[in-house]
Amino acid sequence: MDRNMKILVVDDFSTMRRIIKNLLKELGFTNIEEADDGQTALPLLKQGNFDFLVTDWNMPGMTGIDLLRAVRADERLASLPVLMVTAEAKREQIVLAAQEGVNGYIVKPFNGATLKEKIDRIFERVES
Amino acid sequence: MNHIDEQDVQPLVDRDKRLADARALVAAIENGDDANEARLVGDLTAGYSGTIFDEVGRMTREVHDTLRSFAEDERLGVLAEDEMPGARDRLHYVITLTEQAASRTLSITEEATPVAEQVVERSRRLKAELAKVAASEADNPRLRSVVDSITHYLEATTGSGERLKQQLTEVMMAQEFQDLSGQLLMRVIDLLEQLEEKLVGLLQITAPVRGSRVDGRAAERAEEGVGPQLPNAGDNVVRNQDDVDDLLASLGF
Repeated sequence: MDRNMKILVVDDFSTMRRIIKNLLKELGFTNIEEADDGQTALPLLKQGNFDFLVTDWNMPGMTGIDLLRAVRADERLASLPVLMVTAEAKREQIVLAAQEGVNGYIVKPFNGATLKEKIDRIFERVES
Repeated sequence: MNHIDEQDVQPLVDRDKRLADARALVAAIENGDDANEARLVGDLTAGYSGTIFDEVGRMTREVHDTLRSFAEDERLGVLAEDEMPGARDRLHYVITLTEQAASRTLSITEEATPVAEQVVERSRRLKAELAKVAASEADNPRLRSVVDSITHYLEATTGSGERLKQQLTEVMMAQEFQDLSGQLLMRVIDLLEQLEEKLVGLLQITAPVRGSRVDGRAAERAEEGVGPQLPNAGDNVVRNQDDVDDLLASLGF
């Protein structure tokens, strides 16, 4: 896994963006950008050569699930690994996210070890 | 609201007449006498439907009276126009306060983590340098003993620094509460908005013209305490300790 890969963190709460960013830094990732909802994230993704997307679900403007759909529908973004980090914990939501092609799903509250484990697993699969 | 008691559903016509009508109805159906059948069905149910209409009438009056007393209740107006928007603002303010607190904590952990990392890093480097010195001065027992005790100290410092880093990460993760509590509060705010909208709509229907409200409430409540004030609470609220001190000074304290 390339520690220099470009990561976009999308969450409407700045506290959570900061926590995820700090955790990613602890894991050795430094090339991180932020967006506060799907609407601001999508143009960034389309221009930015991102290697990994970490997104919340429940956000004003464009939700994380709609962002995921938009990513999968875009020819150039379709294979971008997407990890959801969200408080949405209903089974049907997790199933829906999986159906829409999410690569990992973390329910808040969470910890650094979980984040590391999910990221490791996502990139093991992507790279194999 | 009154219940429909058994007395109310008793048909108005007597039992014998009902029995006779029922038998005649059976005969009419058997004989295919459509006109009589329709008349007899009407006769038999007349008593019941009369009671039902009476009941509907009574319920309508009750609804009307309830709505009128609803419109006349000043408290509901205050609730819809004043207190519910106020409650909403307070919840928004709670979100702002928790966000500020979380952000402050995160700033501190972000500053403190590199400090802990430096302590760990420098202790390791110094320990390695000391090891070289100890190797080249193998025949100097006094120096060896000093190097050993400093090495022990540096090892302990490295451990403490690592623990400190982990604990700072825990402190950072604990700030996650702000996102979760914020999301929950946003839902309550949303609910309040919907309730407020419905209540205002209902008040507009029941009382298109409402008189101005009495405002003895503020005076009553100040004595009991009104809780923390919002930043835009107006001129009659102090903003900081300086305002408090100025106010007290103006009173001769």
